[in-house]
Amino acid sequence: MRKHLILSLAFLFLGATSIATAQINRSEQPQAGPIPSIQLEDPQTFTLKNGLTVMLVENHKLPRVSVRLILDNPPVLEGDKAGVSSLFSAMMGNGTTNLSKDDFNEEVDFMGASINFGATSASASGLSKYFDRLVTLMADAVKNPLLTQTEFEKEQEKIITGIKSEEKDVKAIARRLENAVAYGTDHPNGEFVTETTVKNTSLADVTSFYKTQFVPNNGYLIVIGDIDVAAAKKTISKQFSDWKKSAAAPSNWKKPAASGSTAIHFVDMPNAVQSEVSVQNLVDLPMKSPDYLSALLANNILGGSSSARLFMNLREDKAFTYGSYSSLGSSKYTPARFRAYAAVRNAVTDSAAVELLSEIDRMASEPVSEDELAMAKAEYVGNFVMALENPATVANYAFRIASEGLPKDFYKTYLSRINSVTPEEVQAAARKYFTADKAQVVVAGKGRDVLPTLEKMTFKGQALPVNYYTPMAQKAEKPNYDAAIPEGLSADKVIADYIEAVGGRALLESVSSLRLLAEGTVQGMTINVEITRTQGQQFKQKMSLMGNVMSEQVFNGESGYVSMQGQKIPMQDKDIVQVRQEAMPFAELGMKGATLEGVEDVNGQKAYKVKWSANKWAYYSVDNGLKLKEVTAVDAGGQTMESAIEFGDYEIFQGILMPFTLKQQVGPQAIDLKIKEVYLNEALTPASFQ
Amino acid sequence: MKQLRLLSACALFLGISAAQAQQVSYQEYDLPNGLHVILHQDNGAPVVTTSVMYHVGGKDRTQGRTGFAHFFEHLLFEGTKNIERGTWMKLVSSRGGNNNANTSQDRTYYYEVFPSNQLEFGLWMESERMLHPVIDQIGVDTQNEVVKEEKRLRMDNSPYGQILQVVGENLFKVHPYKDPNIGYMEDLDAATLEEFIAYKEKYYGPNNAVLVVAGDIDIDKTKSMIEQYFGPVPTGQNVVRNFPVEEPITEEVRAKAYDPNIQIPATIVAYRTPGFASREAYVLDMISTYLSDGKTSKLYKKMVDEQKQALQIGAFNLGQEDYGMYLIFGLPVGENTLETLNTEIEEEIAAVRNELIADKDFQKIQNKFENDFVNANSSVEGIAGSLATYYMLYGDTSLINKQIDIYRSITREEIQQVAQQYLQPNQRVVIDYLPQSAKQ
Repeated sequence: MRKHLILSLAFLFLGATSIATAQINRSEQPQAGPIPSIQLEDPQTFTLKNGLTVMLVENHKLPRVSVRLILDNPPVLEGDKAGVSSLFSAMMGNGTTNLSKDDFNEEVDFMGASINFGATSASASGLSKYFDRLVTLMADAVKNPLLTQTEFEKEQEKIITGIKSEEKDVKAIARRLENAVAYGTDHPNGEFVTETTVKNTSLADVTSFYKTQFVPNNGYLIVIGDIDVAAAKKTISKQFSDWKKSAAAPSNWKKPAASGSTAIHFVDMPNAVQSEVSVQNLVDLPMKSPDYLSALLANNILGGSSSARLFMNLREDKAFTYGSYSSLGSSKYTPARFRAYAAVRNAVTDSAAVELLSEIDRMASEPVSEDELAMAKAEYVGNFVMALENPATVANYAFRIASEGLPKDFYKTYLSRINSVTPEEVQAAARKYFTADKAQVVVAGKGRDVLPTLEKMTFKGQALPVNYYTPMAQKAEKPNYDAAIPEGLSADKVIADYIEAVGGRALLESVSSLRLLAEGTVQGMTINVEITRTQGQQFKQKMSLMGNVMSEQVFNGESGYVSMQGQKIPMQDKDIVQVRQEAMPFAELGMKGATLEGVEDVNGQKAYKVKWSANKWAYYSVDNGLKLKEVTAVDAGGQTMESAIEFGDYEIFQGILMPFTLKQQVGPQAIDLKIKEVYLNEALTPASFQ
Repeated sequence: MKQLRLLSACALFLGISAAQAQQVSYQEYDLPNGLHVILHQDNGAPVVTTSVMYHVGGKDRTQGRTGFAHFFEHLLFEGTKNIERGTWMKLVSSRGGNNNANTSQDRTYYYEVFPSNQLEFGLWMESERMLHPVIDQIGVDTQNEVVKEEKRLRMDNSPYGQILQVVGENLFKVHPYKDPNIGYMEDLDAATLEEFIAYKEKYYGPNNAVLVVAGDIDIDKTKSMIEQYFGPVPTGQNVVRNFPVEEPITEEVRAKAYDPNIQIPATIVAYRTPGFASREAYVLDMISTYLSDGKTSKLYKKMVDEQKQALQIGAFNLGQEDYGMYLIFGLPVGENTLETLNTEIEEEIAAVRNELIADKDFQKIQNKFENDFVNANSSVEGIAGSLATYYMLYGDTSLINKQIDIYRSITREEIQQVAQQYLQPNQRVVIDYLPQSAKQ
């Protein structure tokens, strides 16, 4: 009893020390505590004679240091040598004229450090005890890079392989087309690297890029971490002062043309199971624009986070996508891109595009609610406060003030300026920067599935014109999925080619019976299927699950039955028509009246689609003639369902090329079956089919 | 000579101060309902992380219900008794914070990061989620579609997106690691509301969870708030796991997989290894660093740099609770075949098995781990995740400060011995990961 008392006293005591002593009311959201005070310190800044601005932030929390070099030059058009900047950045940081590649890399790795280069940037990081050596190596690599023919050729080959690796990447091709459509391919942001442009480039081009672009005049060197400012200043000055000054090459491109009225820009990706949909337009929005913060808030409310309108609509309400967002770029050199986007399943491609356009339009036509604006502001305030945990933040702020020409107190007044933005200002910014009426709707998706609805799509009662592109962003004709059948080709020829490809008519006709034993798993259970077919059109299919027979279909050439869970149901006339078609070992041998319907894609392979009968189709590879798939339309309770079997892993068995994997698909269910045993020409008695 | 000695004394001193700067201080205790609590105070910046890790992941499922834990994670954003449907994310934003969750095969992790004046709000949200989430048919229907879109985005429409699934199904025969964490489409469709409710009862009790509060906090006030918000949550069922044990792989497995989103084939050489808390897993981490981390690592230097056979090469020790997956992934350049890559890979692994790695290389990987260790605890959000993980899955919270000692204690001999034990050719799975168009 006494123990009890002490215990509860202890609890009481604990309670007394807390702020909220009384019971909590869960139905009320807890109030925020007092706003934490924040302090923005300025980095130590100085400029070397060659123009390089150095910013130092001392932070001893961890014994590490990072050094970042940014060359703030206008972007350059690489034109028919697109790729030169990528080659250059890949070759940098691999030795210097003073230190061989192996020695350089070995030393960096041995310190557990890293030094990396971009086309107009570089970075180094490591433990602070290595600071001096790290800066020395980085500066040497910056000033005296080792650019050799051997390295050049190697990087050239890697880039070309890399380009190939993206040929079927739906996201990569979508991004490429978005930039090309927004800027035109004669703009640094719109051009892209191809095998041809990489092959056009020589080592001399890379060296020239280094001389004209990798110069300190507009450079910033930002050092953050466990340093002594005075000592670091000395090291940096010593290592970077003799980097030669030289003016960066002037811009060699024109401002991109404004977009006309809203149109769809489509690239066909036959392998896509999701469409990449973007609605975009260009904006002139350097950070120093007076309405920059209003525009940021407008974008935030539309699609800046997982609580914004796009996410709530396209994901949480409609479940079209895993996520939908918008982004608003900013650049002092070129127009930047505003973009609202989502990756959605094929069937809802057009609906998603309409929702993206509508949400953009709503931002311009209606003021946002006070609540939404308050939430967006809270997010900016929170992020601003939380970003201070990272010592790089103050350096980033100082860098932007300097490079973007912002007022000195831009970040010190940031919170109060964010908080003073009104719904009207947000709407005005949305009107100015988001243009649903002059937007580009860029879609990369499986044309066969998505074009029929996308082409009919309307926005505000207007049909939208569709422009078609190749994956290389070249204008193209509208894909015509029916026209791909070569002149003079017929179903009979496709079937004859198939018969030839698997072993020839004579050999196939010599097969009197065919029995297959297949095995697979369904939800972790073993499934066995035995299929028997004969020239006498006898047919038997037995399916067992974990050794128990689940169903049997038997046909003796005249009549048959289906047995399922002990019940025998005789085959109807229409079933008999169906089963006859499939009872032969090779159905194609006796095929008559088949029609060639077109060319379709089957798992990335082009295939001729041949209609066998009213409810059955087969697909034969254009490349090698083999049968890739059979599809049967099944009537299931008034609805037509498709069941498909895909054939794979063809191997020669007794002279005949036969598939050894079968993938059966009925609705969402897929069963992979592997053929374990094959028997040809067995002596089967009629009793087997009774 | 004198100068040299002075220098090394200096380095020694630096070394000690470095180790001190690393120390993450924390307190841990249990609430009477079984909830384990870990607090880490760092008042350097006005930021706080509130997070809860539940010991439930993809492997905790019945036959035919793959992907259940991840699907369930989505449902726990739908709302609670006091948080209306569709407002979870908005509430977090309205308080200036951000949040997310993720699910692995072994655990599910939910977290919020807020300005530190919102600590109580964060605790309220996570306690709401633990005490009385609303799980209903509307949520199940919506999130089923969303999860399927996530699968399409991350796996089905993504180049090389199916690699982990292919590796899993070939390395495991009976353990649930054989199935993909995100689940199969048909299983996602088949999951029912009743099953989700039962799942919550089974796995989402406080006794199967750890709460971490890290950042700009006052320890006493925080403890008291935790008691108020999490104290009333009733204790849940006792979770018992009894997964089947895999037979060792004694004969090389060859497999093929096809991806419609790629043009360049890949080779994957994979081995089944012990769970991540075992000492061997740490050794394998060092082996993968030795083989492919950095420009002078063995595989990179040979295959990418000197012999130009590979566009990319990487060795990864993918740690999991029950078994790890050690895999080497390579993309050929130009006309090189996958078989060439496989031969070159095996040659380097054989070297690790057959001889001690060079002293200099050994020192290099030790230095790399030292560097990684310093960087590991650089944000409060990261520290919170590590504390939860070390407590729940490694069974030792203090690893946050001591893990580096394990790496330091590993010897060259041990590296050779672990390679001999786990990286033999007859223990490997070799997968040809091919473009769909290569399929006949």
